[in-house]
Amino acid sequence: MASTTTNTPTNGADRDPVTLFEGHRRQMIRDRMVVNVTLGVLFIAFLLWSAWISRFTPDRLAAGLPRIMEYFGAVMPSLQWDVMFESRNELGRYPPGSLGFWYNDFWKYITLIWETILMALTATLIGTGLAVILSFLAARNTTPAHWVGVAARRFLEFCRGVPEILFALVLVFAVGIGPLAGVIAIVIHATGALGKLFSEVVENASMRPVDGVKAVGGDWFEQMRYGILPQVLPNYTSYALWRFEINVRASAVVGFVGAGGIGAELSHVISFYSDDRVTAVLILIVLTVTLIDLLSERLRHALIGKESLK
Amino acid sequence: MSTLTFAAVNEADVTAARRRYPQAFGNPLVRALKIGSWVFIIVYLAWSLHLFEIGKLLSASDRAWQLVSRMVVWQDMADWQYANIYRGIAQTIAIAFLGTLLGTICALFLAFFAARNTMPVGVIRHAFRRLLDVFRGIDSVVWGLVFVRAVGLGPLAGVLAIWISDMGNLAKLYSEAIENIDRKQVEGVRATGADTSRIIRYGYLPQILPVFISLSLYSFESSTRSATILGLVGAGGIGMIIIERFRAGLFDQVAFVVLNVLVVIAVIDWGSGLIRKRFIGERGH
Repeated sequence: MASTTTNTPTNGADRDPVTLFEGHRRQMIRDRMVVNVTLGVLFIAFLLWSAWISRFTPDRLAAGLPRIMEYFGAVMPSLQWDVMFESRNELGRYPPGSLGFWYNDFWKYITLIWETILMALTATLIGTGLAVILSFLAARNTTPAHWVGVAARRFLEFCRGVPEILFALVLVFAVGIGPLAGVIAIVIHATGALGKLFSEVVENASMRPVDGVKAVGGDWFEQMRYGILPQVLPNYTSYALWRFEINVRASAVVGFVGAGGIGAELSHVISFYSDDRVTAVLILIVLTVTLIDLLSERLRHALIGKESLK
Repeated sequence: MSTLTFAAVNEADVTAARRRYPQAFGNPLVRALKIGSWVFIIVYLAWSLHLFEIGKLLSASDRAWQLVSRMVVWQDMADWQYANIYRGIAQTIAIAFLGTLLGTICALFLAFFAARNTMPVGVIRHAFRRLLDVFRGIDSVVWGLVFVRAVGLGPLAGVLAIWISDMGNLAKLYSEAIENIDRKQVEGVRATGADTSRIIRYGYLPQILPVFISLSLYSFESSTRSATILGLVGAGGIGMIIIERFRAGLFDQVAFVVLNVLVVIAVIDWGSGLIRKRFIGERGH
């Protein structure tokens, strides 16, 4: 944003350093002002355009807010302290207002959450495996041929560009409703995302061990296995664990299109009931996600800590 | 690798070397652990794939083939209602922009309640942090579905969903940025005798504003991605067009729309990278 004015002094007064400085400063402030006003106008124009095209007007928002409050009021559990921990009565039902009534389908949810976690774990393992292979092909310094590298990079871009849930939608059509479609969808997306991160790690790795292996006659595979892999393994593990956290979130959502996990139940509960079942499922999902984040963070720090001590 | 043999090395030398440098020949316990974990991973994968009915993949080949061929062969391109498609894409961008903007405004306030140096009362700080965890922990698609139930089908639900999940994300990142500011600059401004408003203006703002803008731009990028799929649950934007045409079996149009979305997202990433570099510079992040 430097000003491009050329101060060409013509008379004695302009050569005065104070006048020169002040003039220059005024010019800079004016230039800055022009840029800021232009940006502001562009911003407001974009804002108005956005509001127009998405029909987002203050009165619609004002009309929507009470309905949101109403909805959140409806889905809150109506727990009553006096019956909170009551067990089943003689009819085999929990009294309304108790925890048992709220979480009547607790074991069904837990089974589905367990399936969700398994889906994420399987998808992470397969995705990591594929990404490891592809990362060596995609990294600029280790790719066996130029066109292989370009092809691998484009492929990874496509894999991570399309959201999981879209892959899941298509795969549910191809392989049928069930967790398999979800697993494959997450594998594809995770491969794309991890492949990019992994290949960046490989590009930053030292090439000297590779030269060493090459010098004793190692082929491409051996150069990667003994030259690069020991350098990048700690980073790979850490990224894979981090991806597992993301995959748990993803596998909780792919069920929306019928691809297994808790998502199908969540979508069913939200679409058909406006009562405390919604919060029951949501709370379990948030707890699971938070717990897995914490565990994986611990594990990641333990691994990295161990590596840096070596 | 071709094996090298030395006549001078015999069995006894190897045994002696093994005794002297046991680590060079590998620890049997470590090796057992390594093999054990590989066996565990393979057994787990086999078991879980069996659980997820991997066989369906093999039996589905003709269906999958039909799907792929219908995605690649584009038919009747004249009546694809392009105006509708591009309007949907524009709506997606608008949803992401409005949601990020509103999320940014709210996060600006929330962040100061969640940062250690601006909110000394631990109870309030932790309450705000847990609240933000809930906003972040629930995926924006789930928020989308919830808001569709609350305010009905359409882009309003999408804006609300992006708003609430961005608010959670940004407030957390902002509060970390506030915690990481350099106290010396603030003290320097205070030492010149500036009043509170000037301390905020010249001590805090120059440090946090570039980071905030940079984070919001990143958030806008990721929100465009989320906004494309919000339509799958009815919350407006291009996702609604995708799912509608998918349900109608128009797979070629779905492929076309997805390709367009990929291009638009790439352009937005590139543009926001440009803005970041131009106005925030390398120091911003």
